[in-house]
Amino acid sequence: MTTSQKHRDFVAEPMGEKPVGSLAGIGEVLGKKLEERGFDKAYVVLGQFLVLKKDEGLFREWLKDTCGANAKQSRDCFGCLQEWCDAFL
Amino acid sequence: MAGLSDLELRRELQALGFQPGPITDTTRDVYRNKLRRLRGEARLRDEERLREEAQPRGEERLREEARLREDAPLRARPAAASPRAEPWLSQPASGSAYATPGAYGDIRPSVASWVGSRGLAYPARPAQLRRRASVRGSSEEDEDARTPDRATQGPGLAARRWWATSPAPARLPSALLGPDPRPGLRATRAGPAGAARARPEVGRRLERWLSWLLLWASLGLLLVFLGILWVKMGKPSAPQEAEDNSTSWFCQAKQKAALLELLHELYNFLAIQAGNFECGNPENLKSKCIPVMEAQEYIANVTSSSSAKFEAALTWILSSNKDVGIWLKGEDQSELVTTVDKVVCLESARPRMGVGCRLSRALLTAVTNVLIFFWCLAFLWGLLILLKYRWRKLEEEEQAMYEMVKKIIDVVQDHYVDWEQDMERYPYVGILHVRDSLIPPQSRRRMKRVWDRAVEFLASNESRIQTESHRVAGEDMLVWRWTKPSSFSDSER
Repeated sequence: MTTSQKHRDFVAEPMGEKPVGSLAGIGEVLGKKLEERGFDKAYVVLGQFLVLKKDEGLFREWLKDTCGANAKQSRDCFGCLQEWCDAFL
Repeated sequence: MAGLSDLELRRELQALGFQPGPITDTTRDVYRNKLRRLRGEARLRDEERLREEAQPRGEERLREEARLREDAPLRARPAAASPRAEPWLSQPASGSAYATPGAYGDIRPSVASWVGSRGLAYPARPAQLRRRASVRGSSEEDEDARTPDRATQGPGLAARRWWATSPAPARLPSALLGPDPRPGLRATRAGPAGAARARPEVGRRLERWLSWLLLWASLGLLLVFLGILWVKMGKPSAPQEAEDNSTSWFCQAKQKAALLELLHELYNFLAIQAGNFECGNPENLKSKCIPVMEAQEYIANVTSSSSAKFEAALTWILSSNKDVGIWLKGEDQSELVTTVDKVVCLESARPRMGVGCRLSRALLTAVTNVLIFFWCLAFLWGLLILLKYRWRKLEEEEQAMYEMVKKIIDVVQDHYVDWEQDMERYPYVGILHVRDSLIPPQSRRRMKRVWDRAVEFLASNESRIQTESHRVAGEDMLVWRWTKPSSFSDSER
């Protein structure tokens, strides 16, 4: 599975104030849902990812429960965040 | 599950071998589902182990694993079945984890492709996995019947562990050991789960113990009651004993046989008379003690014996130190008689009463005893209730007094503050005025006691209020003056 352009763009630099829609796997619909729950910036989702101790299963489950992400979307998001952490955290 | 607090949730997860992160509002549900899943898994593992031990099922296991490969879509529903719970790992892991026995060669390339496809930058980990797998493979080839199960479960467990726990390299070696951590896990799981369950169980056990105790106590009381009844009924066998003794002694001397008969009759007569006297007294006897003459008459009628024999019998009774059940009473009822002349009346020691009479008497005695006990108890209870009531009343009064004191302090302070702001003429306020302003007229009489206590309390225990006597409007009056400078005035200046 090759990474998408979105993934590569996100992982290339510190996320700063990027919106949650800039995460790989999170499109418009999911992004809106996350924002409704208070996860308006990518770093808030990163916070949740870190609080779940970077566990794939838990994070993906949380993502699914929070905004209804499907398997591919949650996998993409997880991978994106994981790689970002490896590079910058 | 919903009733678990955060700490309990954490403990449960740790007991099942999972280290949770912080449990916050956003992570709580996730961890709850995790716990549910882990519990389901643990249960399945137990069942599997039991089934394994029953019969080695290599082929069945493989068939089951093959079935898992069909489980494609991601269903993160925390259902009980563990295979379904990890569908996203069954996709990549299907080819690798649930391999045929001894086919460890398949694992290595598939794991490599698996890792590569995810684009993860962890080259070290798959290498480790590969190395371990090869080691495992060589050791496993030697084993026989357990190989299929352990082989399939080993990497399967490893794969599960990798995804389920945080992907720390340290975890893998321990996970790859397969069956070893499982018994430890089970033991620790049983412990805390048991501890969590033990708390309500202890309560339940205590309840059961208490109920058993009460049951036995009530049965015991019933037995005691019946025992008292039995004792009061008397021992019908006792007179027989006296007679038998006397019988065995007089058997040798035949001339004493007549004496025995006489005594027997006498005894019976006396017993019946005493019984009649006790049980309603139909013949209107004056007492249980039958006059000698009467007894003699009766005996003469019944046995046609002379008075000499009667006297001999009395003498024998006097001389014998055994208890024959007949008391010889003299003029003075309490004094012991020594000669036949002194005997005035005879009394039976064991009055013979009818069964009904006996039963009713026994019942009465038993009930009276039991009732006395209960009345004592009721009396103590009443005392306790009374005392409690009194204490409660005292407590209430005290509370009312403190309330009043608080109100008074507020009033006096406000008055002082008003005086400082030139709204009042004097810095002190009359006690009676305060009372009248705090207590409405209809409750003044009722609250008199509370008020007096409050005044007393203020006089002795409140340092900020001075009780003084001033002449106000030509009348001497007790007043209260606020002595502590108020914060309001400080800020002013």
